[in-house]
Amino acid sequence: MNIESRKKALRYFFEKVVGPLGFKFTPDAALVEFLLEQEVILEGKHGIPFCPCQPLRHDRTRDMQIVCPCIPFHRKHFDILKRCWCGLFVHKDVLDPAKLPQLSPKEVGIE
Amino acid sequence: MSAMNWIYVMDDAALLEGHMTPIYPLGVNIVLARVGGVVYAVSGKCVHMACPLFTGKLNGYTITCPCHDWRFDVRTGKFLDAPELSLAVYPTKSEAGRVFVNLN
Amino acid sequence: MKKTIVYTLSTCPWCRKTENFFTEHNIPFAYIDYDLADEATQKRISKEVDAAGATGFPFVKIGEEVIVGYQPERYSSALGI
Repeated sequence: MNIESRKKALRYFFEKVVGPLGFKFTPDAALVEFLLEQEVILEGKHGIPFCPCQPLRHDRTRDMQIVCPCIPFHRKHFDILKRCWCGLFVHKDVLDPAKLPQLSPKEVGIE
Repeated sequence: MSAMNWIYVMDDAALLEGHMTPIYPLGVNIVLARVGGVVYAVSGKCVHMACPLFTGKLNGYTITCPCHDWRFDVRTGKFLDAPELSLAVYPTKSEAGRVFVNLN
Repeated sequence: MKKTIVYTLSTCPWCRKTENFFTEHNIPFAYIDYDLADEATQKRISKEVDAAGATGFPFVKIGEEVIVGYQPERYSSALGI
């Protein structure tokens, strides 16, 4: 598989999903390139572009909730952070993603 | 809605209760599903990564995508975990044992 | 010096940043790449992650304190540096 062309394909699919949810690709272009590449590698390994920063539990129900973009399944958490866990996506109004902390659900009051 | 917009897609008896089938009227990718005797028509491509929904599961009014388990209501097309995302929905009608879909 | 353990994913850039933080501050630490670990290790770590109410990595333990996510200020505070 050509990694660059698959990255483009993922970008095409994901843009259409995250836009209506109030998110966009992070303005940190280097991070986008790195994370998309990791997703292509994960897709090559598992057949699915999982989040590069969340662990697979080998339980289908749980693992399907970390397929990128996983925003729909962690909406409350990510809306508080204004970013998704790995930082590939941020709220549309975010200009400086470096300022957004990476806090667990528990830390932001979600059990 | 003009009568010209209705396109014959299949015989009514060919789609069994609780089943789905793909159709491609004028090249448009659609999945038909029959629930409670009613035939529903929604886009055949998942809004996530365009996986073919007809190969997924139909449970009640819920279609589950075969690729990553994204779930949609076949009546409204809405993605159950984020209603901002939805499949296109097409009106259907059954007349004289034939199913029609309206692409407009 | 408190014992520092970092659970990471080989695909996660925030995990690399976390490791770099400890290296740059000359803090000795142990790490396990969860995705490259054996099944038994993954199960053990998975339980710890759930118990901490976490969903993602990096997962850092400094002494008894658990810090989830790339949070350099909290690492410093926990280490007293």
